[in-house]
Amino acid sequence: MTDPTDIGRMDEDLALAGELALRVLSPGDEAAARARAAADPAFAAHVEAWNERLGGLADGIAPVEPSFRVWPRVEAGLTPPAAANDNSIVFWRRWAIGSTGLLAASVAAVIVLLAQPVPVPIATPAPPPAVMRVATLTLESGAAAMTLAYDTGTGELYLAPTTEMAGDNRVPHLWLVLPEGGVQLVGAIDGSTTSRHSLGRALSGPAGVANAVAVSMEAPGHTPAQNRPDGPVVASGEMQQL
Amino acid sequence: MSAILTRDELALALGRTGEGDRAAFRRVYEATSAKLLGVTLRILADRQIAEDVLQDTYLTVWRKADSFDASRASPITWLVTIARNRAIDRLRSGAVMRKSTPIDEVVTVIVDDAPSPAQALETGDDVRRLNDCLGQLDDRTGGAIRTAFIEGVTYDALAVRENVPLGTMKSWIRRGLLRLRVCLES
Repeated sequence: MTDPTDIGRMDEDLALAGELALRVLSPGDEAAARARAAADPAFAAHVEAWNERLGGLADGIAPVEPSFRVWPRVEAGLTPPAAANDNSIVFWRRWAIGSTGLLAASVAAVIVLLAQPVPVPIATPAPPPAVMRVATLTLESGAAAMTLAYDTGTGELYLAPTTEMAGDNRVPHLWLVLPEGGVQLVGAIDGSTTSRHSLGRALSGPAGVANAVAVSMEAPGHTPAQNRPDGPVVASGEMQQL
Repeated sequence: MSAILTRDELALALGRTGEGDRAAFRRVYEATSAKLLGVTLRILADRQIAEDVLQDTYLTVWRKADSFDASRASPITWLVTIARNRAIDRLRSGAVMRKSTPIDEVVTVIVDDAPSPAQALETGDDVRRLNDCLGQLDDRTGGAIRTAFIEGVTYDALAVRENVPLGTMKSWIRRGLLRLRVCLES
Protein backbone atom coordinates (compact mmCIF):
# COMPACT_ATOMS: atom_id res chain seq x y z
CA MET A 1 0.00 0.00 0.00
CA THR A 2 1.44 3.36 -0.99
CA ASP A 3 1.79 6.09 1.56
CA PRO A 4 -1.35 8.25 1.58
CA THR A 5 0.75 11.39 2.02
CA ASP A 6 2.20 11.26 -1.48
CA ILE A 7 -0.93 12.74 -2.98
CA GLY A 8 -0.34 16.18 -4.55
CA ARG A 9 -1.30 19.41 -2.78
CA MET A 10 -4.43 20.05 -4.83
CA ASP A 11 -5.56 16.46 -4.34
CA GLU A 12 -4.74 16.83 -0.66
CA ASP A 13 -7.33 19.59 -0.36
CA LEU A 14 -9.89 17.66 -2.37
CA ALA A 15 -9.38 14.55 -0.27
CA LEU A 16 -9.65 16.51 2.99
CA ALA A 17 -12.85 18.17 1.78
CA GLY A 18 -14.21 14.71 0.90
CA GLU A 19 -13.25 13.37 4.31
CA LEU A 20 -15.01 16.29 5.98
CA ALA A 21 -18.16 15.77 3.91
CA LEU A 22 -18.08 12.02 4.57
CA ARG A 23 -17.49 12.77 8.29
CA VAL A 24 -14.77 10.15 8.71
CA LEU A 25 -12.26 12.44 10.45
CA SER A 26 -11.42 12.20 14.14
CA PRO A 27 -12.90 15.03 16.27
CA GLY A 28 -9.62 16.98 16.35
CA ASP A 29 -9.03 16.70 12.61
CA GLU A 30 -12.67 17.54 11.97
CA ALA A 31 -12.38 20.69 14.09
CA ALA A 32 -9.35 21.80 12.10
CA ALA A 33 -11.03 21.01 8.76
CA ARG A 34 -14.19 22.87 9.83
CA ALA A 35 -12.12 25.88 10.77
CA ARG A 36 -10.45 25.70 7.37
CA ALA A 37 -13.87 25.56 5.65
CA ALA A 38 -15.01 28.57 7.68
CA ALA A 39 -11.95 30.57 6.65
CA ASP A 40 -11.42 29.38 3.07
CA PRO A 41 -14.36 29.71 0.64
CA ALA A 42 -12.62 27.62 -2.05
CA PHE A 43 -12.21 24.77 0.40
CA ALA A 44 -15.82 25.19 1.59
CA ALA A 45 -16.94 24.91 -2.04
CA HIS A 46 -15.04 21.62 -2.33
CA VAL A 47 -16.91 20.32 0.73
CA GLU A 48 -20.23 21.35 -0.79
CA ALA A 49 -19.34 19.64 -4.05
CA TRP A 50 -18.56 16.46 -2.14
CA ASN A 51 -21.93 16.61 -0.36
CA GLU A 52 -23.51 16.79 -3.77
CA ARG A 53 -21.43 13.93 -5.20
CA LEU A 54 -21.93 11.60 -2.24
CA GLY A 55 -25.59 12.41 -1.62
CA GLY A 56 -26.69 9.71 -4.04
CA LEU A 57 -25.40 7.10 -1.57
CA ALA A 58 -28.55 7.74 0.44
CA ASP A 59 -30.50 6.33 -2.46
CA GLY A 60 -29.75 2.83 -1.22
CA ILE A 61 -31.30 3.54 2.19
CA ALA A 62 -34.82 2.22 2.58
CA PRO A 63 -37.33 4.93 3.56
CA VAL A 64 -39.09 4.55 6.91
CA GLU A 65 -42.43 6.28 7.40
CA PRO A 66 -42.24 8.52 10.51
CA SER A 67 -44.91 8.19 13.16
CA PHE A 68 -47.84 10.60 13.02
CA ARG A 69 -46.44 12.43 16.06
CA VAL A 70 -43.50 13.97 14.23
CA TRP A 71 -45.24 16.49 11.97
CA PRO A 72 -47.30 18.15 14.74
CA ARG A 73 -44.09 18.60 16.74
CA VAL A 74 -42.36 20.12 13.73
CA GLU A 75 -45.31 22.40 13.10
CA ALA A 76 -45.43 23.46 16.75
CA GLY A 77 -41.80 24.53 16.52
CA LEU A 78 -42.26 26.77 13.48
CA THR A 79 -41.79 30.43 14.09
CA PRO A 80 -43.56 32.73 11.66
CA PRO A 81 -40.91 34.16 9.35
CA ALA A 82 -41.72 37.65 10.60
CA ALA A 83 -41.10 36.68 14.22
CA ALA A 84 -38.00 34.71 13.32
CA ASN A 85 -36.51 37.81 11.80
CA ASP A 86 -36.10 39.57 15.09
CA ASN A 87 -33.44 42.21 15.17
CA SER A 88 -30.67 40.14 16.65
CA ILE A 89 -30.97 37.34 14.07
CA VAL A 90 -31.16 39.76 11.19
CA PHE A 91 -28.15 41.53 12.62
CA TRP A 92 -26.09 38.35 12.89
CA ARG A 93 -27.18 36.94 9.53
CA ARG A 94 -26.36 40.16 7.76
CA TRP A 95 -22.90 40.30 9.28
CA ALA A 96 -22.24 36.61 8.85
CA ILE A 97 -21.72 37.09 5.11
CA GLY A 98 -18.16 37.57 3.94
CA SER A 99 -15.00 37.98 5.96
CA THR A 100 -15.26 41.76 6.12
CA GLY A 101 -18.70 41.21 7.58
CA LEU A 102 -17.30 38.71 10.04
CA LEU A 103 -14.74 41.19 11.22
CA ALA A 104 -17.32 43.94 11.47
CA ALA A 105 -19.59 41.69 13.51
CA SER A 106 -16.76 40.92 15.83
CA VAL A 107 -15.92 44.59 16.22
CA ALA A 108 -19.55 45.37 16.95
CA ALA A 109 -19.67 42.62 19.56
CA VAL A 110 -16.48 43.84 21.18
CA ILE A 111 -17.91 47.32 21.39
CA VAL A 112 -21.09 45.97 22.98
CA LEU A 113 -19.07 43.90 25.42
CA LEU A 114 -16.69 46.68 26.29
CA ALA A 115 -19.64 48.93 26.98
CA GLN A 116 -20.82 46.56 29.70
CA PRO A 117 -19.63 46.98 33.29
CA VAL A 118 -16.35 45.17 33.79
CA PRO A 119 -16.28 42.78 36.78
CA VAL A 120 -12.52 43.12 37.26
CA PRO A 121 -10.53 45.39 39.60
CA ILE A 122 -10.58 49.00 38.41
CA ALA A 123 -6.92 49.50 39.27
CA THR A 124 -5.68 47.03 36.61
CA PRO A 125 -2.76 48.79 34.94
CA ALA A 126 -3.12 48.97 31.16
CA PRO A 127 -0.53 46.62 29.66
CA PRO A 128 1.38 48.25 26.79
CA PRO A 129 0.97 46.50 23.39
CA ALA A 130 -2.46 44.89 23.81
CA VAL A 131 -3.86 43.37 20.65
CA MET A 132 -7.48 42.43 20.18
CA ARG A 133 -8.02 39.16 18.33
CA VAL A 134 -11.55 38.43 17.17
CA ALA A 135 -13.50 35.64 15.48
CA THR A 136 -17.05 34.95 14.43
CA LEU A 137 -17.87 31.28 14.74
CA THR A 138 -20.34 29.97 12.19
CA LEU A 139 -22.33 26.76 12.06
CA GLU A 140 -22.03 24.45 9.08
CA SER A 141 -25.16 26.09 7.72
CA GLY A 142 -23.31 29.41 7.62
CA ALA A 143 -25.33 30.94 10.45
CA ALA A 144 -23.29 32.81 13.07
CA ALA A 145 -23.14 30.91 16.37
CA MET A 146 -20.88 33.11 18.46
CA THR A 147 -18.54 36.06 18.39
CA LEU A 148 -15.30 35.94 20.32
CA ALA A 149 -12.79 38.59 21.24
CA TYR A 150 -9.49 38.00 22.98
CA ASP A 151 -7.37 40.73 24.50
CA THR A 152 -3.74 39.58 24.39
CA GLY A 153 -2.81 42.32 26.85
CA THR A 154 -5.06 41.27 29.71
CA GLY A 155 -5.69 37.63 28.76
CA GLU A 156 -9.40 38.37 28.84
CA LEU A 157 -11.71 36.45 26.57
CA TYR A 158 -15.17 37.75 25.66
CA LEU A 159 -17.81 35.45 24.24
CA ALA A 160 -21.13 36.48 22.72
CA PRO A 161 -23.21 33.50 21.53
CA THR A 162 -26.20 34.03 19.24
CA THR A 163 -29.49 32.22 19.75
CA GLU A 164 -28.27 29.44 17.43
CA MET A 165 -26.74 27.52 20.33
CA ALA A 166 -29.70 27.85 22.68
CA GLY A 167 -31.88 24.87 23.52
CA ASP A 168 -29.16 22.23 23.24
CA ASN A 169 -28.76 20.15 26.39
CA ARG A 170 -25.15 19.35 25.56
CA VAL A 171 -22.38 21.59 26.87
CA PRO A 172 -20.45 23.74 24.37
CA HIS A 173 -16.65 23.58 24.74
CA LEU A 174 -14.30 26.10 23.17
CA TRP A 175 -11.13 25.02 21.32
CA LEU A 176 -8.14 26.83 19.86
CA VAL A 177 -6.94 25.57 16.47
CA LEU A 178 -3.15 25.85 16.72
CA PRO A 179 -0.89 27.04 13.89
CA GLU A 180 1.24 23.89 14.14
CA GLY A 181 -1.89 21.73 13.79
CA GLY A 182 -4.02 20.14 16.46
CA VAL A 183 -6.40 21.75 18.90
CA GLN A 184 -6.22 22.97 22.50
CA LEU A 185 -9.18 22.91 24.87
CA VAL A 186 -10.06 26.25 26.46
CA GLY A 187 -12.98 24.89 28.44
CA ALA A 188 -16.73 24.65 28.82
CA ILE A 189 -18.60 27.81 27.90
CA ASP A 190 -22.08 29.20 28.33
CA GLY A 191 -23.90 28.97 25.01
CA SER A 192 -26.88 30.99 26.19
CA THR A 193 -25.44 34.32 27.24
CA THR A 194 -22.40 36.58 26.89
CA SER A 195 -19.52 35.82 29.21
CA ARG A 196 -16.00 36.95 30.14
CA HIS A 197 -13.15 34.67 31.05
CA SER A 198 -9.64 35.32 32.20
CA LEU A 199 -7.22 32.94 30.49
CA GLY A 200 -4.35 31.67 32.60
CA ARG A 201 -0.73 31.65 31.47
CA ALA A 202 -1.02 28.18 29.90
CA LEU A 203 -3.79 29.31 27.55
CA SER A 204 -2.94 32.94 26.91
CA GLY A 205 0.04 31.97 24.70
CA PRO A 206 -1.91 29.62 22.41
CA ALA A 207 -4.86 32.06 22.32
CA GLY A 208 -2.51 34.76 21.04
CA VAL A 209 -1.38 32.69 18.07
CA ALA A 210 -4.31 30.36 17.28
CA ASN A 211 -5.43 30.39 13.62
CA ALA A 212 -9.02 29.66 14.43
CA VAL A 213 -11.43 28.70 17.18
CA ALA A 214 -14.05 25.98 17.26
CA VAL A 215 -16.89 24.79 19.48
CA SER A 216 -17.68 21.15 20.19
CA MET A 217 -20.80 19.91 21.97
CA GLU A 218 -19.97 17.55 24.80
CA ALA A 219 -22.23 15.35 26.91
CA PRO A 220 -23.19 16.99 30.23
CA GLY A 221 -20.63 16.23 32.93
CA HIS A 222 -18.03 15.07 30.44
CA THR A 223 -14.69 16.83 30.06
CA PRO A 224 -12.81 15.88 26.90
CA ALA A 225 -9.03 15.50 26.66
CA GLN A 226 -7.04 18.75 26.25
CA ASN A 227 -6.23 18.00 22.62
CA ARG A 228 -9.26 16.16 21.31
CA PRO A 229 -12.99 16.90 21.45
CA ASP A 230 -15.19 13.84 21.91
CA GLY A 231 -18.43 15.47 20.83
CA PRO A 232 -19.19 16.87 17.37
CA VAL A 233 -17.65 20.16 16.33
CA VAL A 234 -20.59 22.37 15.48
CA ALA A 235 -19.06 25.78 14.85
CA SER A 236 -15.75 27.33 13.94
CA GLY A 237 -14.24 30.60 12.77
CA GLU A 238 -10.97 32.18 11.78
CA MET A 239 -9.12 34.41 14.27
CA GLN A 240 -8.36 37.88 13.02
CA GLN A 241 -6.47 40.78 14.49
CA LEU A 242 -8.14 44.14 14.99
CA MET B 1 -48.33 9.52 2.96
CA SER B 2 -45.19 9.77 0.83
CA ALA B 3 -46.30 12.08 -1.92
CA ILE B 4 -44.06 11.76 -4.95
CA LEU B 5 -42.60 15.02 -6.18
CA THR B 6 -40.20 15.40 -9.06
CA ARG B 7 -36.86 17.04 -8.42
CA ASP B 8 -38.10 20.33 -9.89
CA GLU B 9 -41.30 20.26 -7.85
CA LEU B 10 -39.33 19.60 -4.68
CA ALA B 11 -36.88 22.41 -5.50
CA LEU B 12 -39.82 24.74 -6.03
CA ALA B 13 -41.49 23.70 -2.76
CA LEU B 14 -38.21 24.20 -0.92
CA GLY B 15 -37.83 27.65 -2.48
CA ARG B 16 -41.34 28.60 -1.30
CA THR B 17 -40.54 27.21 2.14
CA GLY B 18 -37.69 29.71 2.23
CA GLU B 19 -40.28 32.44 1.74
CA GLY B 20 -42.24 31.19 4.74
CA ASP B 21 -44.89 29.18 2.84
CA ARG B 22 -46.09 26.56 5.34
CA ALA B 23 -48.14 24.61 2.80
CA ALA B 24 -45.03 24.24 0.63
CA PHE B 25 -43.06 23.15 3.70
CA ARG B 26 -45.71 20.52 4.42
CA ARG B 27 -45.30 19.21 0.85
CA VAL B 28 -41.54 19.00 1.36
CA TYR B 29 -42.12 17.09 4.60
CA GLU B 30 -44.58 14.67 3.07
CA ALA B 31 -42.39 13.96 0.08
CA THR B 32 -39.13 13.50 1.99
CA SER B 33 -39.69 12.63 5.67
CA ALA B 34 -39.68 8.85 5.09
CA LYS B 35 -36.41 9.14 3.19
CA LEU B 36 -34.82 11.31 5.86
CA LEU B 37 -36.01 9.06 8.69
CA GLY B 38 -34.39 6.18 6.81
CA VAL B 39 -31.15 8.18 6.82
CA THR B 40 -31.25 9.15 10.52
CA LEU B 41 -32.37 5.68 11.59
CA ARG B 42 -29.47 3.95 9.82
CA ILE B 43 -27.06 6.18 11.71
CA LEU B 44 -28.74 6.19 15.11
CA ALA B 45 -30.38 2.73 15.14
CA ASP B 46 -32.98 3.95 17.64
CA ARG B 47 -36.39 4.94 16.34
CA GLN B 48 -37.17 7.44 19.10
CA ILE B 49 -33.87 9.27 18.78
CA ALA B 50 -34.01 9.10 14.98
CA GLU B 51 -37.45 10.77 15.06
CA ASP B 52 -36.19 13.45 17.45
CA VAL B 53 -33.38 14.20 15.03
CA LEU B 54 -35.86 14.17 12.15
CA GLN B 55 -37.95 16.82 13.91
CA ASP B 56 -34.85 18.86 14.53
CA THR B 57 -33.84 18.42 10.88
CA TYR B 58 -37.11 19.86 9.57
CA LEU B 59 -36.94 22.81 11.94
CA THR B 60 -33.50 23.49 10.51
CA VAL B 61 -34.88 23.09 6.98
CA TRP B 62 -37.60 25.63 7.77
CA ARG B 63 -35.03 28.13 9.03
CA LYS B 64 -32.43 27.55 6.32
CA ALA B 65 -34.58 26.93 3.26
CA ASP B 66 -33.90 30.47 2.04
CA SER B 67 -30.25 29.49 1.59
CA PHE B 68 -31.09 26.54 -0.70
CA ASP B 69 -29.81 27.24 -4.21
CA ALA B 70 -31.34 24.95 -6.83
CA SER B 71 -28.60 25.84 -9.31
CA ARG B 72 -25.94 24.40 -7.01
CA ALA B 73 -27.54 21.55 -5.11
CA SER B 74 -30.10 18.83 -5.68
CA PRO B 75 -32.96 19.41 -3.23
CA ILE B 76 -32.99 15.86 -1.86
CA THR B 77 -29.21 15.87 -1.43
CA TRP B 78 -29.43 19.20 0.39
CA LEU B 79 -32.02 17.71 2.76
CA VAL B 80 -30.13 14.43 3.21
CA THR B 81 -26.95 16.35 4.06
CA ILE B 82 -28.72 18.25 6.85
CA ALA B 83 -30.38 15.10 8.23
CA ARG B 84 -27.21 13.05 8.03
CA ASN B 85 -25.05 15.71 9.70
CA ARG B 86 -27.59 16.20 12.49
CA ALA B 87 -27.77 12.45 13.07
CA ILE B 88 -23.97 12.12 13.14
CA ASP B 89 -23.71 15.06 15.57
CA ARG B 90 -26.19 13.30 17.83
CA LEU B 91 -24.41 9.95 17.45
CA ARG B 92 -21.08 11.50 18.41
CA SER B 93 -22.47 13.54 21.27
CA GLY B 94 -21.99 10.37 23.29
CA ALA B 95 -25.67 10.14 24.16
CA VAL B 96 -26.23 7.25 21.78
CA MET B 97 -24.62 3.85 21.84
CA ARG B 98 -24.75 2.09 18.56
CA LYS B 99 -24.22 -1.51 17.66
CA SER B 100 -21.84 -2.06 14.81
CA THR B 101 -22.57 -3.99 11.66
CA PRO B 102 -19.82 -5.54 9.56
CA ILE B 103 -19.32 -3.73 6.28
CA ASP B 104 -20.16 -6.78 4.16
CA GLU B 105 -23.56 -7.01 5.78
CA VAL B 106 -24.31 -3.37 5.08
CA VAL B 107 -23.46 -3.72 1.43
CA THR B 108 -25.69 -6.77 1.15
CA VAL B 109 -28.60 -4.92 2.69
CA ILE B 110 -28.19 -2.05 0.28
CA VAL B 111 -27.96 -4.25 -2.77
CA ASP B 112 -31.11 -6.09 -1.73
CA ASP B 113 -33.16 -2.94 -1.13
CA ALA B 114 -36.13 -2.59 -3.41
CA PRO B 115 -36.33 0.66 -5.38
CA SER B 116 -38.09 3.24 -3.25
CA PRO B 117 -40.65 5.84 -4.31
CA ALA B 118 -38.25 8.48 -3.02
CA GLN B 119 -35.86 7.53 -5.79
CA ALA B 120 -38.03 9.63 -8.01
CA LEU B 121 -36.59 12.61 -6.11
CA GLU B 122 -33.07 11.99 -7.27
CA THR B 123 -32.40 11.99 -10.95
CA GLY B 124 -31.84 8.30 -11.62
CA ASP B 125 -28.88 9.04 -13.89
CA ASP B 126 -26.86 10.69 -11.10
CA VAL B 127 -27.36 7.73 -8.81
CA ARG B 128 -26.58 5.22 -11.52
CA ARG B 129 -23.40 7.09 -12.34
CA LEU B 130 -22.35 7.20 -8.69
CA ASN B 131 -22.97 3.48 -8.35
CA ASP B 132 -21.04 2.75 -11.55
CA CYS B 133 -18.09 4.80 -10.33
CA LEU B 134 -18.18 3.19 -6.87
CA GLY B 135 -18.29 -0.18 -8.59
CA GLN B 136 -14.99 0.62 -10.29
CA LEU B 137 -13.24 0.92 -6.91
CA ASP B 138 -12.11 -2.25 -5.23
CA ASP B 139 -14.83 -3.83 -3.08
CA ARG B 140 -13.26 -2.97 0.28
CA THR B 141 -12.88 0.69 -0.64
CA GLY B 142 -16.33 1.04 -2.13
CA GLY B 143 -17.79 -0.76 0.88
CA ALA B 144 -15.93 1.44 3.35
CA ILE B 145 -17.13 4.65 1.65
CA ARG B 146 -20.72 3.40 1.63
CA THR B 147 -20.55 2.37 5.26
CA ALA B 148 -19.01 5.68 6.28
CA PHE B 149 -21.81 7.53 4.51
CA ILE B 150 -24.71 5.36 5.59
CA GLU B 151 -23.70 4.73 9.19
CA GLY B 152 -21.79 7.95 9.84
CA VAL B 153 -18.74 6.24 11.32
CA THR B 154 -15.17 7.61 11.50
CA TYR B 155 -11.89 6.21 10.20
CA ASP B 156 -11.19 4.73 13.62
CA ALA B 157 -14.37 2.68 13.67
CA LEU B 158 -13.96 1.59 10.04
CA ALA B 159 -10.40 0.42 10.66
CA VAL B 160 -11.46 -1.59 13.72
CA ARG B 161 -14.32 -3.22 11.85
CA GLU B 162 -12.22 -4.16 8.88
CA ASN B 163 -9.33 -5.11 11.13
CA VAL B 164 -6.81 -3.02 9.22
CA PRO B 165 -4.42 -0.32 10.50
CA LEU B 166 -5.88 3.19 10.66
CA GLY B 167 -3.41 4.42 8.02
CA THR B 168 -4.54 1.73 5.61
CA MET B 169 -8.19 2.67 6.01
CA LYS B 170 -7.36 6.36 5.48
CA SER B 171 -5.38 5.50 2.38
CA TRP B 172 -8.22 3.39 0.93
CA ILE B 173 -10.81 6.07 1.45
CA ARG B 174 -8.72 9.07 0.38
CA ARG B 175 -7.60 7.38 -2.80
CA GLY B 176 -11.08 6.00 -3.34
CA LEU B 177 -12.62 9.47 -3.02
CA LEU B 178 -10.17 10.97 -5.49
CA ARG B 179 -10.77 8.18 -8.01
CA LEU B 180 -14.49 8.54 -7.51
CA ARG B 181 -14.27 12.24 -8.28
CA VAL B 182 -12.27 11.67 -11.45
CA CYS B 183 -14.79 9.06 -12.58
CA LEU B 184 -17.81 11.26 -11.80
CA GLU B 185 -16.35 14.26 -13.62
CA SER B 186 -15.23 12.34 -16.69
